[in-house]
Parts: sequence; structure tokens; C-alpha cells
Amino acid sequence: MGFLTRSKETAPCTVTISHRFEELSAHVKFNNGAVVNPGDSVLVHGAEIMAPYGEVVEEDRTATITRASKLEQLWTRATGDFEFMELCEFSFSEEVLS
Amino acid sequence: MNAQSPLHSADAATAEEAIAAQDALDTPMTSEKATEVAMQNTLLTPRFYTTDFDEMDAIDVSPVRADWDKLINQMKSDPNKGHFKKNEDWDTVDWDGMEPALKAEFIDFLISSCTAEFSGCVLYKEMKRRGSNADITTLFQLMARDEARHAGFINDALREAGIRVNLGFLTQQKKYTYFRPKFIYYATYLSEKIGYARYITIFRHLEAHPEHRFHPIFKWFREWCNDEFSHGEAFALLMKTDPKLTESFTNKLWIKFFLTAVYSTMWVRDHQRPLFHEALGVDVTWYGQEVFRKTSEISKQVFPFTLDIEHRRWRKNLDRMEAASRQIAAAKKRGGVGGMISRVVGMAKAATAFVSVLTIPAIHNAVPENPRLQPAY
Repeated sequence: MGFLTRSKETAPCTVTISHRFEELSAHVKFNNGAVVNPGDSVLVHGAEIMAPYGEVVEEDRTATITRASKLEQLWTRATGDFEFMELCEFSFSEEVLS
Repeated sequence: MNAQSPLHSADAATAEEAIAAQDALDTPMTSEKATEVAMQNTLLTPRFYTTDFDEMDAIDVSPVRADWDKLINQMKSDPNKGHFKKNEDWDTVDWDGMEPALKAEFIDFLISSCTAEFSGCVLYKEMKRRGSNADITTLFQLMARDEARHAGFINDALREAGIRVNLGFLTQQKKYTYFRPKFIYYATYLSEKIGYARYITIFRHLEAHPEHRFHPIFKWFREWCNDEFSHGEAFALLMKTDPKLTESFTNKLWIKFFLTAVYSTMWVRDHQRPLFHEALGVDVTWYGQEVFRKTSEISKQVFPFTLDIEHRRWRKNLDRMEAASRQIAAAKKRGGVGGMISRVVGMAKAATAFVSVLTIPAIHNAVPENPRLQPAY
């Protein structure tokens, strides 16, 4: 990892979406043991995934992990904590009605 | 625009029937499915987190083992398993008859609730997956279960209103942010406890004034917030495993910051939903103070002080923050140089008010040896 430079790597991943009455959840799991660090970005390739209502969908995909530079990582470590408000139901959500 | 099927999930007697009714919408291409496609899309945008997993794995719950095991076993027994089902109490909602402005605020409330539950689920699942301390991963697994269940329940209510969540974020670039473990404890503890206080206050109010219950989801709030209460209990115990977390000078400052930030955000946000509170028959200022009172009382189990919410600078500056937030929103909309200046001025006003609230002397509290509480409101 460079101080100012980013690097990229690809990783196989499994995306699991539960779109059911009893559970709404979505998770991405890397299958090669890749670990995401503060400031890294992840892009899952392919078309948008959405399970039909009442179903759980699991898809194997490829993801690109963009590794943050050391500087970015330090910055994220120092400031990430302030995004905690999102856990509150009354947070200012960024949802977009389209 | 509500999707109609022969048996609407709202009329179903059991969860299975409700699911079957909703499933019917998703099977072959029918006119119902066309309606589904036409549903309004709302994009959920949760954040993704990492933390110091080694530090989290190093937690030793031995000092609170007896209470810990009791709480985890209670959560494992899943007392609310059967609660999140639509039964005969789920009245049909007259979405079309609802005043549009109220509908917009209420839907905004449902969406932000759904996002919060969903984000909690993402965070907890990540902690569960990457941690290796069995006590901690079990807790996160159980909490992820509850949050996903709550999110599913709200999602169903949104679908009835013709709103479909969009999980498109999954295939968009996601940046992973960072939470220090201790901040996860403070923030999660507070968000769960204040969530409990908010839901139970509305539930008790509507129990006394059922004529204001304009949507059946409020009937589910009591058991729902008991989940939030238990989650908060677990974090209270976690904070008890290391006295420094609540007793060191720096950490006390952090706790004060978290309390002030959470309380003032809630105040500002709630005041932006006037019609929603009016429909509930709730005075939003009374509601805010009441939720703070309950949360402060509960937080005495673990925090060495409470905020002085009766201080003369308290409400005055919360109101200033709210006014500043309106100014910022209006300036953002306006754009241009004038908008930019107005926005910066608004932000300065908000920051000044925040500092004024943050510097109100706190009220000392002698923390009890054993933190465990039962939901009592």
C-alpha cells in the first residue's frame, strides 16, 4: 500500500439477499478470504441483484476491491466514527425516491 | 398505486398467508406484477463498516458472565419470534385517503426506520462474520436476526404503501468506513436505548389515545422495542467489562459528545415531521423531552452522568440548531453563491448552538454495581 496510491484487486464473492416478510437483509462475502480495511471500496460486478418478494437469492459474483492509500486509511480511521448517527431511526437518510 | 391481490397480505390471518399473498405478486407476469413494477422505488443506502476486530475479540465478559449468559439465553429463546406476524390487529390502511403531506412524512419515517434496521443488520453481521470471540459473535448474530426481522416487517408496510426497496447499492461502489470498537458500544447502546424510549412513548400514548393510531404498525411497537431494549442491555454489560470505557476522562468526553449529538439530531429531525406528530396527537417538543428523560434514566445504568435537559440553554439551542438546519436545507436548494454563503452561515449557527449545548454541565450519576434493567415504561 502506497502512502498516496491506491491499488486494485479482484475477489470472488457471494451476494445473499433475503427479501422476505420475516427477513430483509443483504450481505456480501468474499470467498478468497479477502479482508476489507478502512477506506477501501468494493464494487460488485454485474447487473443489479434483487430477490423477488418472499425469496432468498444467492449469487456468485466477482468484486473489485480498491485498496485505500495509507493516507485515506488514516483519514477514514480518524473520521469514520462520526457516521454513527446512521444507526438511529431518526438519522438523516439519503434515500432517493426515484 | 397500492398493489392489490385477491387476498391482500394485510387481510391475511397468518404470516404464511401474508407471504403467500405477497408471493402471488411475484410469480408469473400478471397485472399485479405490472403494478409491482410500477411501484415507487426507494434506494436503501446503508454504510459498510470495519473496526478493530482484534480489539473486539479481546473482550472478556467474565466479570459479567452470569448476567451475560442470562441475557444471551433470553435472546436465544427468541421471545418475539411469533410477534412479527400480521394478524387480525393489522387493520387495512387507507393510503389513498391519507392526506398526501402526512403520507409523505409517514413514509419518510418508515423508510428511515427500515434503513436504520437494515444498517444495524449489516454492521452486526459484519462483526459476527469477522470476529472470533464466541461470546461477541453470538451477540451480534442474535442482533442481526432481530434487525433483519424488523426491516422485513417495515418493508412489508412500505410495500402496502406502494414503495419498493431497491438494494441497488449492492452493485454500486461501496466505501468501507471505520468505527472504533468503543464507539460501536456507545453509539449502538444509545441508538438501541433511545429507540426503545421513542417506540414505547408512542405506544403508551396511542394506548391512551387509540383514535390517533392511523396505521396498525404502531400496535407492534411494544414487543419491537423490547428487542431494542435487550440489545442495549448487552452493550451495557460489555461496557461494564472494562471500567475505563465509562470512567476515563477522555471517554467521558466522548460519551457526552455522543449523547449530545444523538439527542440534538433527534430533536431537529422530529421537528421536521410536524404532520406526522400532529396526526399521532403528540406535541413534538413534549415528545422529545420525554424521550430524553426516559433515555437518561435508563442510561444511568452505565453512564456516570446524564445531560441536563432542563438547563436554560438546552431547548433554546436545540431550537437554534433546528432553525439552522432549515436554513442549510433551503440554501442547498437555492444553490449559487448566495446559497453557498447562506449554507456556511447556517452551518456556523448550528455549530455554535451545538457547542453551547455540549458545554452545559452534566449531572453526576453514581453508576450501580449491576447494570441490568428490565423494560419498565
